[in-house]
Amino acid sequence: MTDERLESAADVDQRVLAPALRWTRAFRWDLDKTYLETEFDTFGNLLRTALQRASQKRSVAGAPALMREIRAAGPHRVCIVSGSPRQMRRVLEEKLRLDGVEWDEFALKPSLSNLIRGRFRAIRDQVGYKLPLLLDGRSRVPPDCEEYLFGDDAEADAFIYSLFSDLLAGRVGAATLEQILDACEVYRDQKEQTLALARAATRGDVVRRIFIHLERRSPPVRFSPYGRRMVPVYNYFQAALVLFADGVLPAPSVLKVAAEMVSSYGYGLHSLSNSFQDILRRGYAEVGVLTGLADAVEQYASLFDVFRPAKDILEAFTRRLGALADSRPAPPPPPATIDYLALLDDTRRR
Amino acid sequence: MVEPHRRAAGASQAAPGFPGVSVAVDAMSGERAPDDVVRGAAELSLSSGSIELLLVGDARAITERLSRLPHNPERIDVRPAADALDGAVALVASGEAAAVVTAGEVDALVRSCRERLRLLPGVTAPALGAVYPTALRRGTKGDPFCLILDVGATLAPAAEELVRFAELGTLYARAVSHNPRPRVAILAPGGRAERAPPEIAEAAARLAEVAGVDFLGALDPTEIPKGEADVVVCGGFVGASVLSLLDGASGLVVDLARYGQKQRLLWRLGLAMLSGGVGQLKRVTDWKQYGGAPLLGFEKLVLRAHPGSGALAIQNACRVAAKVLSADLSAGLSAPGAPKRESA
Repeated sequence: MTDERLESAADVDQRVLAPALRWTRAFRWDLDKTYLETEFDTFGNLLRTALQRASQKRSVAGAPALMREIRAAGPHRVCIVSGSPRQMRRVLEEKLRLDGVEWDEFALKPSLSNLIRGRFRAIRDQVGYKLPLLLDGRSRVPPDCEEYLFGDDAEADAFIYSLFSDLLAGRVGAATLEQILDACEVYRDQKEQTLALARAATRGDVVRRIFIHLERRSPPVRFSPYGRRMVPVYNYFQAALVLFADGVLPAPSVLKVAAEMVSSYGYGLHSLSNSFQDILRRGYAEVGVLTGLADAVEQYASLFDVFRPAKDILEAFTRRLGALADSRPAPPPPPATIDYLALLDDTRRR
Repeated sequence: MVEPHRRAAGASQAAPGFPGVSVAVDAMSGERAPDDVVRGAAELSLSSGSIELLLVGDARAITERLSRLPHNPERIDVRPAADALDGAVALVASGEAAAVVTAGEVDALVRSCRERLRLLPGVTAPALGAVYPTALRRGTKGDPFCLILDVGATLAPAAEELVRFAELGTLYARAVSHNPRPRVAILAPGGRAERAPPEIAEAAARLAEVAGVDFLGALDPTEIPKGEADVVVCGGFVGASVLSLLDGASGLVVDLARYGQKQRLLWRLGLAMLSGGVGQLKRVTDWKQYGGAPLLGFEKLVLRAHPGSGALAIQNACRVAAKVLSADLSAGLSAPGAPKRESA
C-alpha cells in the first residue's frame, strides 16, 4: 500500500461504521456542480468558492431533497467523493447539515499535500484520485450491494464512473486499466494502488445507474457511448423519476423532490412537466410512471396545494405525456462495449 | 484532467418557473426543417427565461435532434402531430399556446387558422404581412423594415377590409418596431389612388378619416425600398406580386455584382472595398434578424417565418411573438361603423 493510498483512506470520513452486510445500495455523489452550484472556471470564481461560508453555498435544485429521500428509502449508504480540497471539509459538512443531509463516507482531495510534494498533475487529475476511492469503497459494502453514482458533465465523472462499473463487472481487464492509467499520466503509486484495488474487488455487475447532471447543458448524446446505464439529467426531479421507475424510491419521494424544487428554486408546473416529458422521450422511464405518481399526488395533495391544486398538476403532466403514447422511444440497445482509451481522448479534448 | 467548459453560450440564469409565454412552433415546415427549427428552439431555450416552446411535429425526430444539441428541456414541450402546422394552430386555438410560429405554406396556414381561430371583432378577412428592408430606420430600435400587408391571405379585399389591414398594421408596427406613429400608405400605381381599382380609391378615402392611422396616401411600389412608408397596405394578389418583384430585383443586383467581379479587375477591387459596408448593410437588412411576419386579424397571434428560415430566424420569430403578445392588438382596433375622424 502506497503513501497516497494511506493518505486517501485516512481522509475518508466514515461517520457510521455499521456492519457491512447492512447496505443494499450505495449512492456515491460528487459535490461540485453535482450537489453544489459551484463556479470555478475562473480564478475569481475559484477564490469566491473557497471563501464562501456554508450558508452562502447553494445546492443544485432538488439535490438535498433527493439525497434525503434516498437515505430514508432503505438501507442506503450515502458516500461523497469530492474533488474539493480537504481544507474545505468543515464548511462542506456544515452545508450538508444545513440541508439536512446525512452521509456515511466523505472523501476530499489532498490538494495541498499534492502541491507541497510537487505532484502537480495530481491536483487536476480525477482518474487517479476518484477511481481508487470508488474501488476502495466497495470493501465497505456487501458484494451484491447495488451502486448508484452521481456526477456532472464538467469533468471526467462519466468516464470514471463507467470505468469503475466495468471493472467491477469484469468487462475491463487489468491490462486495459493499466493502459488507461498510463494514458492519464497518473503517478506510479496511484497506478499501483488502483491496480491492486481493482484486483481485490469482488466482481459483480452491480452499478445500476450513473446519473450525470448536465450542469453545462451538454447534449445528452455526448454520453451515449457509455450505454443506457448512464442517465444524463437536467435536474434532480428527472433523477428521482428514474429511481422511482427503477423501484428504488417510492412515489412520495419523487413528489418531495419536486416540492423542494418549486418552493426553494423557483421551478413551476411547466418546467417540471417538461422535465418529466423529456426523460420519457429519451426512454429512461415509461408513461406508466404517471399512474404511480398519480396515487401519491392524491395522497399527498396537501403538500402540493401550497402551490396549486393537486389535480392541476396531474392534468398538466397527463397532457404533456398522454400525447407521447404513440411516440414511445425505441427499446434500449444492448450493453455497449466501451472503448475507454478512445473516450479518454474525447474527454480530454472537452 | 479535463479542460473545463464554459457554460453554454448565452445560458440564462432566469428562474426555471418562467411565468412567461408559450409559443407553438411548427417544427416540420420550411426548407431547413426540422434541423434548423429545432436548433433555433434549442438555442432560445437556453437564452430566454420567459418563453416556453411547444415543438410540434414528429416527436422522435425532434427528440433525436434535441439530444444532439445543448438545450434546456425545462422550457421545451414536444407535441406529436402528423400535420405539424395544423397541430401548432390547434394548440393556440385550445389556449395551450399563446402564439404560433411556422415556416409553412401560406395557403395551409390561412386554411388552418380560418378553421380553428376566430377573427378579431370587426375584422372580416386576415392579412398576411411581410417585412421588407428599406433605406430608412424607424422607431426607437432603428428597425429598417417596412411592413407590407396583405401578401397572400386575402387576394381581393374590400375597401373596409383594407382599412382594417391599415389599422392592424399600425398596431403591429407600434408593438414590434417601437414606432409610436407608423406612416401608412396604400399601394397604387404612380402613387395615384384615383387610377387604382375602386376598392383602393375608396379605402384611401376612408383611411384619411381613420383615427389612430397616420395615412400618407397612395404609394407607388418603387417607393417601398426608399422607406417612404412604415406600413404598406394592398390586396393579397398585388402584395404577393410586388414582393416577388422586389425579391427578384434584389437577386438581380447580386447577380450583377457577381458579373462585375468576374469581368474586370478594377470592378473587383471596387467591390472588395465596398464589401465591409455591404456586409454591414446586409446584417442590418437581413430578414433573419426579423424572424417572422404576422398573419393579422385573428384573435391569436400567428407568425409566419420565411420558408428558408434557419435557427436564428426561428429564434427571432419566437422573440417577436413574445414581444407582440405583450401588446394587445385587438384593443387598438376601432369599432366598425364608429365615427373615425380624429379630433383636431
